[in-house]
Amino acid sequence: MKSFVLGFVAAIVLPLAVVVGALRLGAFEVRADVHAPAWQKSLFDFAVRAAVRRLAPRVQSPVPHTDAELIAGGHLYLNACAGCHGNPGGRPQNLTEYLPSPEFAQVGTAYSEPELFWIIEHGIRRTGMSAYATSFKEREVWSLAEFVKRMHDLPPPVLDALRPKKH
Amino acid sequence: MKNFLAGVLCAILLAAVALAIYLGAGFMDVASEGQPPAWESSLMTAATHASVRRRAGTAANPLPGTDATLIAGGKRFLGDCGGCHGAPGKPSDFGATFYPPAPQFAQIGTAYTETQLFWVAKHGIRFSGMTPEGPYYKDPALWSIAAFVARIRNLPPTVAEALKPPAPK
Repeated sequence: MKSFVLGFVAAIVLPLAVVVGALRLGAFEVRADVHAPAWQKSLFDFAVRAAVRRLAPRVQSPVPHTDAELIAGGHLYLNACAGCHGNPGGRPQNLTEYLPSPEFAQVGTAYSEPELFWIIEHGIRRTGMSAYATSFKEREVWSLAEFVKRMHDLPPPVLDALRPKKH
Repeated sequence: MKNFLAGVLCAILLAAVALAIYLGAGFMDVASEGQPPAWESSLMTAATHASVRRRAGTAANPLPGTDATLIAGGKRFLGDCGGCHGAPGKPSDFGATFYPPAPQFAQIGTAYTETQLFWVAKHGIRFSGMTPEGPYYKDPALWSIAAFVARIRNLPPTVAEALKPPAPK
């Protein structure tokens, strides 16, 4: 019994000590100008998705699903989000990032509107996605969430309204 | 010996199950508001510093160490980095909404050398909001920013004066 406990403790403490030691020695690469390996990205996405599903509000979006609302959300998006997440109807920017910002116009999103609402409000830890709850009113966040949800599939009049004006 | 191995195996299995539940059932903390706990900040900051020290090398800044270099770097910093990293006397609220939060150099200074700052600006820091700037700047521009950040708490008065926002009319 004593050696069982010893083995149990050793199997927990030794790997922890090795990881902390490697961290302190600078053994882990920190540069962000390469893409994360696929296993790391899928594991991260999997855990984030599960957490967002658990935490997102269990309510319907309070904003109407109209073209006018999409255009309002689109204008907010163009100001605050497009720099990293790309333009509606535009070409992918393929930014160099360790965990790339999803370009919704190309890839869409599997998140629901309440889940997108939660992410915009609270951000995603250890990524470039910061928390916007203090930058927007709740209603604006809902309107952003609706826009992002529809971004790969916008009605043509909405796309037209959001196109940069020619001078 | 057999009992010892059984203990090892048991710990590995339990840890694997606990990790699967933690990640799969959505218990990993994802919200980026709020400050990391002290143990996490100090461990991860030490790890990042150690990794940068190991990789950044010791090349000297190729730019002349003049006020003009600091002013050029300062203009770039205030225009392009200040949104997250703040300006002298003006910490960024936006930078505080990242996890880990963006360091406010004008308040806290930095332990990195110019060469290490250059390396970080060029390559970015993974698992943070610090994106690589290499694709957007030529090396001399990054060196000027590094020179400025290294001196940000201790700028020559002429440089500080030149970077003051124009007085409102």
